Amino acid sequence: MQRIDVVRALAPLVTPDDLVVCGLGALWDDWWNYRPGGADNTFFPVILGSISSTALGLAIALPHRRIVALDTDGSLLMNAGVLCTLGSERPGNVTVIVFDNGIYECIGGPPTLTSKNTDLARMAEGAGCINCRTVRDVAAFGEQVRPLLTDDQFGLIVAKIKPGVHPWPTEERRPTDGVEDKYRFMRYVEKLEGIVTHPGAPQN
Amino acid sequence: MGPTYAELMIQGLKEAGVTLVTALPESLLGGFYRAVAQEPGIRYVRVSNEADMPGILAGAYLGGTRAVMVMENSGLRQACEPIARFAFTYHMPLVILMAYRGDLGEYNWWGHAHAQVMEPLLGVLRIPFRVIRTLDEIKPAIKRAVRHADSGQWPVALIFSGQCVEVPPYATD
Repeated sequence: MQRIDVVRALAPLVTPDDLVVCGLGALWDDWWNYRPGGADNTFFPVILGSISSTALGLAIALPHRRIVALDTDGSLLMNAGVLCTLGSERPGNVTVIVFDNGIYECIGGPPTLTSKNTDLARMAEGAGCINCRTVRDVAAFGEQVRPLLTDDQFGLIVAKIKPGVHPWPTEERRPTDGVEDKYRFMRYVEKLEGIVTHPGAPQN
Repeated sequence: MGPTYAELMIQGLKEAGVTLVTALPESLLGGFYRAVAQEPGIRYVRVSNEADMPGILAGAYLGGTRAVMVMENSGLRQACEPIARFAFTYHMPLVILMAYRGDLGEYNWWGHAHAQVMEPLLGVLRIPFRVIRTLDEIKPAIKRAVRHADSGQWPVALIFSGQCVEVPPYATD
């Protein structure tokens, strides 16, 4: 099971009404191409350690909305303390999916510590998170992630994936930068929720 | 007797439309953390690492909720990386409230480093900040900080000291 296989299995289970916070690395381009309906329902923080905390803030702001965090081993290991925050809050509308390949693949593949003895699902359990599991093949991922997405409880699934980067052609790679991502996502949420987050200047 | 600094902070946050407070408690604003945890209308999220808080604020903002992060000024160093990323890469408004450990007259030798690093760090992060030392400044400063962050799409920091923090008896002048 490679990253792209997990993304392909997940994409049909996520709708444009869901909001997604997507981690960095090759996951960017995979999710960009498979995000539901091509909608701007995904925020892409290029910040190791801040993927799941961003999802938590979004989930608190929009408790009626399903929030999916696409996190990675490198990111969670950067700030494993967020597992304690998630375990304390247990936001029922959040599902965290951890793509765990045991390496920092986009910089050439040096190992992360999950390549040795670190088990992120067990860490999450110890931190107070509920519904934590680890899967190693696509069938198990599909079977295990579906209830997590629909049970109105917090859940975290670690997908142990093998190395491999899908070779997206340049024109199919995510073309946006961070500021554009923010505004696209913000305006999408405004429409979805019927709210105004950033109204602009009151006077020209 | 008028309202305490903690009461004024909470009133200021509510009047500014803040409904989410995330914090890593410390002693100088101890009464604030205890009070906000009991405050109806404000969701209080405790963290164990200041680096959690910029993400929580960013997510909340994108979801239409006004939020602030509260910590000792030493937490600025811990949260520096996500603050820098959210600011420079995303132009994300983050409202940062900090206790000013190491302000003039500090008794604790270990607290001086917090102050020595804080202002230069805020400078390189290009974060506008104000030091709030009197009770009457609290509410207007919070209101303006929230507005400034929103309109500027950039972090803002308020640093509390003087009448706006708690110090043990040995540290009072």
